[in-house]
Amino acid sequence: MSGAGAAARKARAARSRRRRVVRLALLALTGLISAPAAAQDTPPDLEARTRLVASQLRCPVCQGLSIQDSPSELAQEMKQVVRAQLAAGRTPDEVKAYFVARYGEWILLEPEPRGFNLAVYLLPVLALLAGLAVVGVVVRRWTRSGDVAQA
Amino acid sequence: MTRLLGLSACAVALALAVFGAAAAVMGARLRRPELVRSAIAAAYANFALLLVANLAMVYALVTRDFSISYVAQVGSRATPLFYTIISLWGALDGSILFWGLVLSGYTALAVRWSRAEAGAVLPYALAILLAVGSFFYLLLVGPANPFGRMFPVPVDGPGPNPLLQNHLLMAIHPPLLYLGYVGMTVPFAFATGALLAGGLDDRWIRLTRRWTLTAWGFLSLAIIAGMWWSYEVLGWGGYWAWDPVENASFMPWLTATAFLHSAMVEERRGLLRVWNVSLVVATFVLTILGTFLTRSGILSSVHAFTQGTIGFFFLAFIAVVLLFSLALVAGRSTELRGTGRLEGVVSRDTAFLLNNLLFTAFTFTVLLGTLFPLAAEAVRGVKVSVGAPFFNRMTIPLCAALLFLVGVGPALPWGRPERQLLRRKFVPPFLALGLVAGTLLALGVRAPFTVAAFAFAGFALTANLGEFADGTRARRRAHGEAPPRALVRLVRSNPRRYGGYLAHLGVLLIALGITASSSFRTERQATLRPGQTLAIAGHVLRFERLWARQEPQRFVVAADLTVLRGSTSLGRLDPRLNYYAASAEPVATPAVRSRARADLYVTLLAFEQDGSSATFHAYVQPLVIWIWLGGAVIAAGALLALSQRRERRSPGGERLPAAAQAEAR
Repeated sequence: MSGAGAAARKARAARSRRRRVVRLALLALTGLISAPAAAQDTPPDLEARTRLVASQLRCPVCQGLSIQDSPSELAQEMKQVVRAQLAAGRTPDEVKAYFVARYGEWILLEPEPRGFNLAVYLLPVLALLAGLAVVGVVVRRWTRSGDVAQA
Repeated sequence: MTRLLGLSACAVALALAVFGAAAAVMGARLRRPELVRSAIAAAYANFALLLVANLAMVYALVTRDFSISYVAQVGSRATPLFYTIISLWGALDGSILFWGLVLSGYTALAVRWSRAEAGAVLPYALAILLAVGSFFYLLLVGPANPFGRMFPVPVDGPGPNPLLQNHLLMAIHPPLLYLGYVGMTVPFAFATGALLAGGLDDRWIRLTRRWTLTAWGFLSLAIIAGMWWSYEVLGWGGYWAWDPVENASFMPWLTATAFLHSAMVEERRGLLRVWNVSLVVATFVLTILGTFLTRSGILSSVHAFTQGTIGFFFLAFIAVVLLFSLALVAGRSTELRGTGRLEGVVSRDTAFLLNNLLFTAFTFTVLLGTLFPLAAEAVRGVKVSVGAPFFNRMTIPLCAALLFLVGVGPALPWGRPERQLLRRKFVPPFLALGLVAGTLLALGVRAPFTVAAFAFAGFALTANLGEFADGTRARRRAHGEAPPRALVRLVRSNPRRYGGYLAHLGVLLIALGITASSSFRTERQATLRPGQTLAIAGHVLRFERLWARQEPQRFVVAADLTVLRGSTSLGRLDPRLNYYAASAEPVATPAVRSRARADLYVTLLAFEQDGSSATFHAYVQPLVIWIWLGGAVIAAGALLALSQRRERRSPGGERLPAAAQAEAR
């Protein structure tokens, strides 16, 4: 029994390691992009932190606007909640988790980068890299001297 | 009577389109020119019929004939005449009717203007145009019939969507969008028509390029007008939210822009033919897909007028178009094989290939992000959102790279440029890049993409202006002309080339406007009593009073604000909230004070009923106006490029005479 438990633990550890590797790879691929976001992760004053979290939450009664941008009353109230929770010492992730628990994942304007959602982050990068390879091959082929009329 | 007239016009148009498509193909196959002529007559007649149907609908709207279903849906006795007329395109059925008018107009013009040049391709292209037309006319007599019978006849209607009767731009943005969107059908028809006709020569690329450029010019203007409308009406201080309907208009623009560049590689090198056909097909399919996504209600959006069966029609149509195009390309694969080669790796050709790669990756990213919520719901059973933070994160690096290429492309000569020429072309742009980046860093700007965007814009601006300067200098030296005259002569000697550079300048204005307004935006929110002030970025706003007014179709609450600098008054702003019977939430009208340096933008968020206080959100954003200006410059560039009547083409992919002259030294 304990052997099976250890195996399960090991598998879990491997899984979480794999997940970490995937996340790292994702981070590296979009490294340039996430750098500015990371730099803004903990702005000093409450207003700036509120803005940052509020711009990642969807206004439920608008057309894809964040509660930061939306002029609607509901969005204003939700932003108050964000501000109050941040002031009470909660981290941005905890505040977001609070809204996800109430509204579902839909409330996040950017899907969480894990599981199936990774596709939406990775596919464009992979497509770009594949395209780059194709362009490289094509340019090489088309510029090879003496070789006329290749597809 | 009006109902019968409109509906029968649509029905006859459908019959004529089906007949015309068949007659055109048979006429070409059996060499019976009279059949082709009758198809052409059918195309002209269709335009007249759709004009009648649209005028019938406008008449019904204006006379408030609520026995007609579309009027009962969007009309109301209280709506002012202007907004009553433009509600023609305010909801699904009417917009399909208007689509039909634009499509039949384009069909007639394509026949009229390109008949001689298209030659043997014309009957096939006409058949495609009429076949696409018959799909839309089928919608008009079937699932999207705007002339349905209402019984009992309602006394009044709800009026158009409040968001769509709040600003003059609603009269401009939709027609421009249709001219852009529907216009992409013509290049599709000429491309597939040329494949159907066989014996592919370089005629098809000239025809498709010109018609794509026309539609692209309208689409560019439409997107900018849509941004402007969003800015002036939605009251959130921004102009682009990555809403599905915005993405739907943007994706065909991206693929069409890619095509306008890659078409040049085919014209000069005889390469990329399959790729170019694919881009033209993709652009057309993306217009239909965009309409399907936003009109079927499958993704919720401002423009989604949820309807029943129409989605299936669109999906089936998209499937048919894709299968048909794939089969055509496969069937003609030998004729489509490229014949040329490139002379050097470091050349404008390579820049164009990279340009196409980036535009394609951009389109793919936007498409994936737009469709991903559907995929997530299907696979995981969970609703997710893919919004602005995602699109900004994924596409801003692509935008930066494209901005850089806007400079690289024009500065890189075709063929195999010499090292010395390269140095001369690239030293000034790189100096500008370093200067801009250094200045911004010295000023304390640290956001990497803000610095990159401005630096690349400086690079590209120098490179594009350099092309005008080099050409002018060459003419001055060769002909001894004074600079202004030399510049005008230069542009007129090759409008297509300089139209392209002018469009680049427009893109750069837009890039500067977007970067500046999003990076250096200041916003403040405050609740004020009359007489109290709010200070924001050098401006002071004083709340004077609250007032209200009953208008026929709405109740308006507005706040008077005085804009002060020091103690001098710069003017008044009156942000409003409009209450419509048809909408639970008020529709805000922000007050905007636009200046070349910055916009001051104020919305009224809430107020006390007795006027004792009001809550405002104020934004100061630099260079917003440059975005709208950039749109006009792009359109001017497209117009200039289109003014070149005859294509000058030198065989063997040599430089054009004017180009050679400009690059002589």
